[in-house]
Amino acid sequence: MIERRMLLRAGLGAAAGGLALGRARAEAEPYVLGTLFPMAGPNAEYGTIFTEGAQLALTHLAADKLLSRQVVLKAEDSQGTPQGGAVGMSKLVNVDHALYVLIGFTGVSKAAAPIGTRAKVVMVNGGGVGPDLAGLSPYYWNVIPLASAEVSRIAPYLVAKGWKRVALIYMDDPFGNGLRKSMQTDLPKAGGEIAGLFAITPAEQQFSALAAKVRDAKPDVVYFASYGAQQAQIIKQLRDNGIDQQLVTYSGALIPSVRSLPQAEGLIFTVQTAPWSATDPVTRRFLADWQATHKELPSVYHQNYYNAVRLFGLLAHGLEQQGKPVDGDSLRAELLRVRRFALVGGEGTFDDLGDLSVPIDIETLKGGQPVKLD
Amino acid sequence: MLLAQLLISGIQTGLLYALTAAGFALIFGATRIFHFAHGAAYALAGYGFVFAVRAGWSWPLAALLATVLAVGFGLFMDAFVYRPIQRHTGSFFTVFVAAFGVVIVVQSGIEIGFGRAFVAVTSPLTRASAVLPGLYLARAFWIALAAAGVLFGALGLFLARTRTGIALRALAENPDLLRAYGLSARRLSALAFALGSALAVPGAVLGAATTGLSPSVASHVMLVSLAASVVGGIGSLRGAAAGGLVLGIAENLVVSVLDTQWSEAAGFVVLFAFILFRPRGIFGAALAR
Repeated sequence: MIERRMLLRAGLGAAAGGLALGRARAEAEPYVLGTLFPMAGPNAEYGTIFTEGAQLALTHLAADKLLSRQVVLKAEDSQGTPQGGAVGMSKLVNVDHALYVLIGFTGVSKAAAPIGTRAKVVMVNGGGVGPDLAGLSPYYWNVIPLASAEVSRIAPYLVAKGWKRVALIYMDDPFGNGLRKSMQTDLPKAGGEIAGLFAITPAEQQFSALAAKVRDAKPDVVYFASYGAQQAQIIKQLRDNGIDQQLVTYSGALIPSVRSLPQAEGLIFTVQTAPWSATDPVTRRFLADWQATHKELPSVYHQNYYNAVRLFGLLAHGLEQQGKPVDGDSLRAELLRVRRFALVGGEGTFDDLGDLSVPIDIETLKGGQPVKLD
Repeated sequence: MLLAQLLISGIQTGLLYALTAAGFALIFGATRIFHFAHGAAYALAGYGFVFAVRAGWSWPLAALLATVLAVGFGLFMDAFVYRPIQRHTGSFFTVFVAAFGVVIVVQSGIEIGFGRAFVAVTSPLTRASAVLPGLYLARAFWIALAAAGVLFGALGLFLARTRTGIALRALAENPDLLRAYGLSARRLSALAFALGSALAVPGAVLGAATTGLSPSVASHVMLVSLAASVVGGIGSLRGAAAGGLVLGIAENLVVSVLDTQWSEAAGFVVLFAFILFRPRGIFGAALAR
């Protein structure tokens, strides 16, 4: 009998010990953040930029010891395509068990969002601007203004400048078609007209024929909506093939390959207001540490993905303080409870869809540097 | 005038395709090796040219560096990739996978060295000006035309009139017989790779100046070269030249009746049409079964 009691006690003790060990191990497990960016191919430039912003935020989170657990980043290459997005998201959700995924690109987002939504994984977009991305899922949030807002901003400006006939070159994908619809709505409202619609595909590299067609449409201004390396090719080939009209685009053009292109001089584009003169401590710290490493100003993409990671840190910190678990549902509940967060650019407010409201500027490239026009 | 403009653009694009495809056709025609990494020779030549121009070299010197890189790469592939595979009776699939792997390595190397961004060389030669109302032409067009003319002429003469050229053509037919005549199949194979890779250089240089380059350019170039080779007749040099020209013109002319996004698809519609109705291509020999 005594032996049996001793055995029972020993067994219970071992079980309790095992439970405690398991809990300790679970507590020690890091928070897994995923990135689903294009890391190879013609859009890989964005992947590098997006990741740089996120990494700086991770450094700051670790330095601040904001969270009880370590935060690790698992990267998947979306290749900038819906197929790559679906495959990458499945891996992040099912293999890496990411609970918060940084995402970019409209087509990628639309393919990945159902997978993330099923698993209740939060997805934060700081790079894709397709108008359809608003309200894509309760777990899909935007920290970047969408193209519909950019088009609403630029359309009256173009008309006011006397550029009423707009030739629109757009990518034939969810992003480009969303932007086309916005332009077809907003431009006539502002008093302008579409002089010609020219659809292109992501793999296209030859634009001399396109230039001939654009010239034939006799527009006052040429608006193009592409992304990645292709934008620089469009600008160069339009200019080389005798298109002298003003070129206009959206925020996607703010990448080094466009900025360094001589033919891009004078390019007009819309972009979320860069907050580099803001005096709040979050912006100052981001800017100082960024410039210490890179010796130049960051882009708004760096800012957005920094904010996306910082937002995770703030939400998870709040949940930890309340003793709540950190998962998709609790993160969403915490976002909607708090709403206002100290981010780079000042205090940011999220709406019911989980979108951050950001003002938009009209800028131009001068010597490769963005200069505010309006 | 739109049609004339599209035709001019098509010829310029087609000439660049033709030169690149001819390199692939020369290698395949002589060695029967499916050199999928030919696009990587184009990429290396293009990036080498951009690197040299940015470093302040003159264009001829930069083109020389591009040639050295392309030829060196071709020779490397022949000696260190294909020959070892063939020694072990490597199948077509093994050769293809090896070449595909090399393309990825080259692309990654370029991304590490140059970044993932688009690169281009800016030159007044690529800036078109109006020669007639609504018809724009850049000096690059004449350069492409001259380069294609000179290179195809010289290559044609070399292959038809010189002993080495004839031996090169015979290599694919009967390497054993070549050996019996005291010729080295290995050296001839190396020569085919050197010449074929060198043919990618004009297209790469003009491509760097006109369309620009991205690290993934190799796959696109290879796709076009392959399509041009099939359209022109696999293994036929003049076939590849004609095929490249046909593809370039088709891609541009289709825009006059269809939306611009159909431009690249038009080239492949031409390819499918040839596969279905004339599988031996424009100049390919009919195979007896």
